[in-house]
Amino acid sequence: MATIVTSPTETKPGQPANPAKLYGLIAEFETPGDLMAAAEKVRDAGYKWWDCHTPFPVHGLDKAMGIKRTILPVLVFGAGATGTFAAFLLQAFTNSWDFTIWAGVWVTGYPYLISGKPAMSLPAFIPVMFEVTILFAALTTVSMMFLFNGLPQLYHPLFRSNRFRRASNDRFFISIEARDPKFLPRKTEEFLKSLDPVAVEAVED
Amino acid sequence: MAHATGHAVDLGAKNIELPAPALGMRNIGLGLAVVGLGGGAAIGYTGAFGTEPAHFWRAYLVAFLFGLTMCLGGLFFVFVQHLTRAGWSVAVRRPAEALAANLRWYWILFIPFVVLWFVGFGDMGRANMVWMWADMETLKANNPEEAYVVAKKVAFLNPTFFWIRAAVYFAVWALLAHFFVSNSRAQDSTGDIRLSERMQKWSGPAAILFGLTTTFAAFDWIMSLSPAWFSTMFGVYFFCGCATAGFSAMILVTLRLRSLGLLEGIVTAEHMQDLGKLLFAFGMVFWAYIAFSQYMLIWYANIPEETGWFLARQVGGWGPMSFVLLFGHFVIPFVALISKWPKRFAISLGAAAVWMLAFHFVDLYWLVMPEIPHDLATFETYRQASDKYADTATHFGNPVNFLLALGAFGAVAAGTITALSRSSLVPKRDPRLGESLRFENM
Repeated sequence: MATIVTSPTETKPGQPANPAKLYGLIAEFETPGDLMAAAEKVRDAGYKWWDCHTPFPVHGLDKAMGIKRTILPVLVFGAGATGTFAAFLLQAFTNSWDFTIWAGVWVTGYPYLISGKPAMSLPAFIPVMFEVTILFAALTTVSMMFLFNGLPQLYHPLFRSNRFRRASNDRFFISIEARDPKFLPRKTEEFLKSLDPVAVEAVED
Repeated sequence: MAHATGHAVDLGAKNIELPAPALGMRNIGLGLAVVGLGGGAAIGYTGAFGTEPAHFWRAYLVAFLFGLTMCLGGLFFVFVQHLTRAGWSVAVRRPAEALAANLRWYWILFIPFVVLWFVGFGDMGRANMVWMWADMETLKANNPEEAYVVAKKVAFLNPTFFWIRAAVYFAVWALLAHFFVSNSRAQDSTGDIRLSERMQKWSGPAAILFGLTTTFAAFDWIMSLSPAWFSTMFGVYFFCGCATAGFSAMILVTLRLRSLGLLEGIVTAEHMQDLGKLLFAFGMVFWAYIAFSQYMLIWYANIPEETGWFLARQVGGWGPMSFVLLFGHFVIPFVALISKWPKRFAISLGAAAVWMLAFHFVDLYWLVMPEIPHDLATFETYRQASDKYADTATHFGNPVNFLLALGAFGAVAAGTITALSRSSLVPKRDPRLGESLRFENM
């Protein structure tokens, strides 16, 4: 097993000795298997504000981390259904009904005779209903994905760590944030060291 | 990847070979085939339940297509996996291969039509009871307008070419099925990776041949039932039926094997979820997409020689049946299967597969049975036509429909079980088996 390194707090000359606020601790692993085993232990230890960082998708890691299922599919389904009905109402109002509503300005429906079809012709509406369903669902998927992941985010404290750069290359990391209610600097460090990592490092905010 | 290396997968004979008692199921299948086809023929011969000979022969065509589409769906699955070099599907490929293997003998069920055409059964059966263009003289006498249109098509729609094409379809399907099944089985003993490469190489041409033969088979056997009508989308529609039936049958075969305690640790909920996705995509979404595309173009253009086909499916009892099909084949299963969970449990996925197989049968019945009103040209409005034909019955409840379909189903089931017993239930030396065993949905 390699040595365990705890990086010294970086203090720049001229700055107060008072160390910067701790963001959290990271532990480095060499293989996905080691990471998976460690993740299960972190999960069982009851930490909430923690994450795994891998260079590629690791199957089964969700389960090892105990990540709850996202509610995104429910939102997408709701958005899709909204799109279906919105597109129907828009077409029904503009093509089939002649009453007036307030939509920013006063708008009146205009029943229009198209190739001798009845004013309310559902088959003609379906392509638009389909497209708007897809549009709403796709926009919701992307925007909620950004929202849930806190994106766009141009900076992250973990970028301070030189060691962490290998998370996009050949190393696997677990980070536990200081804001976790169970986080105690000394105790959490001991805990991470007990997971058999290559190294444990403190990262400042 | 701890789960991949953590526990070994049991590839012992007890887990991946069909045990002898399971072969008893084959006899049940054979029994169903004999009882169904024999009982159906008896009803057709005696005319019980008011069965007209024409209805019997068309019901037999529905039953024939019901079995055929399951086998073609299996073949489609097999060559698409090779075409895309898919890894996940290796564990569930054998059930599809077993379904496709039936194509080597399924032409036997087409022989009654050969006899019907070239020998005939007198008043009990003539070729033009099914395909009205088989007897152009009678068609001309009964419906001169239609005969005038059909006469322009004789270069394609003539008995000689029809039977040559039928022979080509069956030959292509049998050869393709034989090629993929025998190479896959050969790999079980040799483990030769070149067999996989050969199947990959030929899966491209196989896809082209499959596309052409199923399209033209749909034109010949179903679309030409209304010889003046045409739809360029019809072949794709029939292909959707093949995919629906094939994936449903695959799911049922795989679930049955698992309920026998086989394929333990090999076929997991992950594989079943993906089979469910395929059924969802092809059986519900793509089917509805194609069916609606076909309908909307004809509905919008509103040309009488095209709308007649849909008119025949809107008058009398056919109108409600069209709605039953819309909801049964698309709306209800779409909502039921859209979530991840129903696809992962045997009971819900199995129920969906049975449901889709049942509505695939309704779909075939809806395609084959209705007759376009011969006095179509005399109607001025849709109302006139629907009033005149308000009493049209679908005869869907006639037991002959179900007996014949059960017969074809039994024959396919027996053939599938036989094919499964001829080799192990997974391609145990396929180079991608490991990838398939580790497969997980993200």
